[in-house]
Amino acid sequence: MTAETPAATAIDRFVTQIGAQVAAYLDACVHCGQCAEACHFYEVSGDPRHTPAYKLVPLARAYRRHKAPFARLKRTLGLAPAELEEADLREWQDLIYDTCTMCGRCTMVCPMGIDIASLVGLQRRGFAAAGIGPEDLFEVAENSRIKGSPLGATPKVLAERIEWLSDEHEVEIPLDKAQADVLLTVSSIETMKYPQSIVAMARLLNHAGENWTLSSKGYEATNFGVLSGKSDVAKLMLTKIVEAAESVGAKLVVIPECGHAYGALRWTGATMMGRPLPFQVMHITEYLAKLKREGRLKLKPMAKSVTYHDPCQISRRGGATEEARFLLSDFAQDFREMAPTGNANWCCGGGGGVAAIASATELRRKVFEIKMQQVADTGAESMVSACANCRQTLDDGKAHYEWDREIDSLVEIIADHLVEA
Amino acid sequence: MTFLELTEGPLWYAASAIFVVGVLWRLAGIVRLGGPRDLSVPRASATAGAIKGIFLHMVPHGGFFSRTKFHFFAGYLFHLGLFVLVLFAAPHVLFIEERLLGFGWPALPRWGFILVAEATFAGLILLWLRRLTDPVMRQLSDGDDLAGTVLTFVALLTGCLALQESHDSLRALHMLSVEVLMVYFPFSRLMHAFTFAFSRAYTGASYGRRGVVP
Amino acid sequence: MTFVHSIVRALRLAALLLAISFAAMTTLTGGPGLGAPALAQTGVETPMEEPSPGSGKVPGRSIGNASDAEIWRAVRHGLQGNVSLPDKQAGLLVQSEGEEWRSIRNGPVTKFGGWLLLGMVGVAALYFALRGRIPIKDGRSGIRVPRFTQTQRVVHWFTASLYVLLGLSGLIMLYGKHVLIPLFGPEVFGAIASAAMQGHNLFGPLFAFAIVALFFVFLEHNRFRWADVKWWLSLGGFVGGHPKCGFYNGGEKVWYWMAVALGLTIAVSGLLLDFPFILAAPQKLQIAHLVHNIAGVAIIAGGVGHIYLGTVGMDGALEAMTRGDVDANWAKEHHDLWYQETIAAQQTARQTVAQGAAAEVTT
Repeated sequence: MTAETPAATAIDRFVTQIGAQVAAYLDACVHCGQCAEACHFYEVSGDPRHTPAYKLVPLARAYRRHKAPFARLKRTLGLAPAELEEADLREWQDLIYDTCTMCGRCTMVCPMGIDIASLVGLQRRGFAAAGIGPEDLFEVAENSRIKGSPLGATPKVLAERIEWLSDEHEVEIPLDKAQADVLLTVSSIETMKYPQSIVAMARLLNHAGENWTLSSKGYEATNFGVLSGKSDVAKLMLTKIVEAAESVGAKLVVIPECGHAYGALRWTGATMMGRPLPFQVMHITEYLAKLKREGRLKLKPMAKSVTYHDPCQISRRGGATEEARFLLSDFAQDFREMAPTGNANWCCGGGGGVAAIASATELRRKVFEIKMQQVADTGAESMVSACANCRQTLDDGKAHYEWDREIDSLVEIIADHLVEA
Repeated sequence: MTFLELTEGPLWYAASAIFVVGVLWRLAGIVRLGGPRDLSVPRASATAGAIKGIFLHMVPHGGFFSRTKFHFFAGYLFHLGLFVLVLFAAPHVLFIEERLLGFGWPALPRWGFILVAEATFAGLILLWLRRLTDPVMRQLSDGDDLAGTVLTFVALLTGCLALQESHDSLRALHMLSVEVLMVYFPFSRLMHAFTFAFSRAYTGASYGRRGVVP
Repeated sequence: MTFVHSIVRALRLAALLLAISFAAMTTLTGGPGLGAPALAQTGVETPMEEPSPGSGKVPGRSIGNASDAEIWRAVRHGLQGNVSLPDKQAGLLVQSEGEEWRSIRNGPVTKFGGWLLLGMVGVAALYFALRGRIPIKDGRSGIRVPRFTQTQRVVHWFTASLYVLLGLSGLIMLYGKHVLIPLFGPEVFGAIASAAMQGHNLFGPLFAFAIVALFFVFLEHNRFRWADVKWWLSLGGFVGGHPKCGFYNGGEKVWYWMAVALGLTIAVSGLLLDFPFILAAPQKLQIAHLVHNIAGVAIIAGGVGHIYLGTVGMDGALEAMTRGDVDANWAKEHHDLWYQETIAAQQTARQTVAQGAAAEVTT
């Protein structure tokens, strides 16, 4: 196969990425359609096209034609599905990008346990290689490549921000220490939009008496390479952090409130780098839970009624579901769970890069109606989350609907309730 | 050679061979594709996750039951029914004893067979109708789904029509329809009867090591 | 005037039908035509005033005071002997009502049923030949109006699939010997008949569930209304243009109630036949069987019309049951009252949403 046309490139990328796991998934799907019941986009649109299993059609077709057992036999007999064409890819673009946040909720309802989200991610890598996808998302990913950060927070911008935050909030934020036990990373959403979050993390690390630093070699945890399907960008972003951590001799890398950044480094980082990582990786909620367990986190109780929005990549797909609840227990005097919650919680609607895709805005805001209803049912005044991307999506929804609840960051409210020694 | 001798002799052996070799070939074809080893530090056991995954997806979890109860009831009605019919219908037990294993086990009484057959048919027809009437399933379905359903239905039907066990031609017809089903099986989505375990186990393993089995 | 004329004509037609059905009824319930006896019994049948056993003289070699002929005659009429078996019915050598059952089933039920079925098919074919497929008058608008929910469609097709399986196997049992034996010979027919009976007995109980579900799922909109009377008076639009009509027209409602009533009759009588120990007495089983046969033929005949109009007979009808929605122009033409209600409801909903949005803006 010569990769001349976009379709051929995509097919090539699909086929080379299909291993036993993907093959088993594609061969197990019985087209029962139950996954639609779990998808927030189908929930608000009612459009059968938004059925998660339907989003896998391009990959399944390429697999059946080129890689599945008996593919050659079926091709000879004319029984294999038709070759994918560029028009097919264009038709599926909004299903692969605009209407999938790779939240993985559909896996729970799937009787075959198929990890549909990872298959959408695989398809994005094929689409991106073929140059088919939302321009705005691709641009953000290219920003990461060129400027080191999707939102343009270059090392210089970071240094300026840190200096300003340091002065403004009277908090020590070490940058580029020669040696540190803990390397803190940040999300560009925080740098540009929620800088107080960086202040909060600095306070907490200082409070714990940790020897920590930020590094201008690798600070950006947000990985739009992963979200857009641009594998080279994904690896570039990871490499920067890994090298920064190694250069300061960090034993622990802390991921900020960013969902997919956690999955990217914690769960796929070593595999993508092709070697085990010489340090531990923790999401900030995991790290704070550890501090709390060790008695290194002294908090004043919080009276306000709160509920917790599970970021998909931290809870359902990250396995740190209980850490946030452990942090909130005792501390939040009036904590209320949503229904459904934990691993089954609804997605914010903006994960997986969808928040950066303009054409997805309308449907994404409709998804926010689910969240509003969930929170209204708990009666909580405030919804906290542990993902800057969720937070930005939720804030957009709040502004759009002029919603009357507060949206907060878990790390920030904890930092606000520290009992300073 | 009579029609019955043909279907119980050469055709039966041919169909069995294609079925067994085909299924093994396809499963081996999937496994041999391999994949990169997961180098992340596990939070929990992948093996435990795989086992949990296989069993967890047998039951509704995560609060979706009210939305998927049709699939749950019709699905179990059909699948459990089919399983019982295949293994416990009196003529099947006899066939297994005489032709395959040399030993048998207690079979269903006649009333039991009829009850189970009705449940199985009800389940299959309901699932089929869902496929035809639900916009989501219509969108997903292809010719393979239709063929698999029709062949299974015909095999079940011919089996039940031969219930009187007094006509060789009806028995032969059932044998033939089952043989067609067996030949079609390895090349089709009917393979989910085996691949389900692989799929669930892979997800259970890769998420089990993250400390969560979704 | 034409209105009065049509009423008169309709009444005359009704009277004629009544007369025909009365004639059929008398034939069925013991008129002179009843006794077409089985071949084996021809010539044995004697007039009613036969001597009771033990009353006459004893011809030939005999022990006791009853002749062989008289004993056999008594046996033939259901003489109950004594047996030591627990099942006392085993003492009955000849169950003589069985002969009546047989002759009714093979006689009028087969005959009139056959004419009814062929007649229905003929009428449908003739109608199709004359009028062809009824088109949507104003063409398709492209606007879809939801008509049947998914539950309704699943229940409908579940019942329908059983209806087809049971109908076919039932017809094979009733008419197979007249149609299939000449075609395939007795050997093949033996296998087909065995298959039909096993399949029929097996699928039957599922139909009982299906018909009960059908009753509940389609009950809404099927109560009779004044509009239905007007619909029938215009004979469903043959007279005086298309009558006003709600969700269902008068004909559809009659079919619903007919299908439910006949379906339940078939289900109950069928279950009694499937589990014969409930009734135990063969005479009762024979009645159940005749009821089952007659109701079965009737529901098949009714179904011919239903299937005809639902498929080839009318453009735009089938999709209501497959996709669940219909074209707006079809709805307007055939179910105008329902269409207006639906549109009104939609507009109200839209207004409520708009008002809500307006309220949101002002606050």
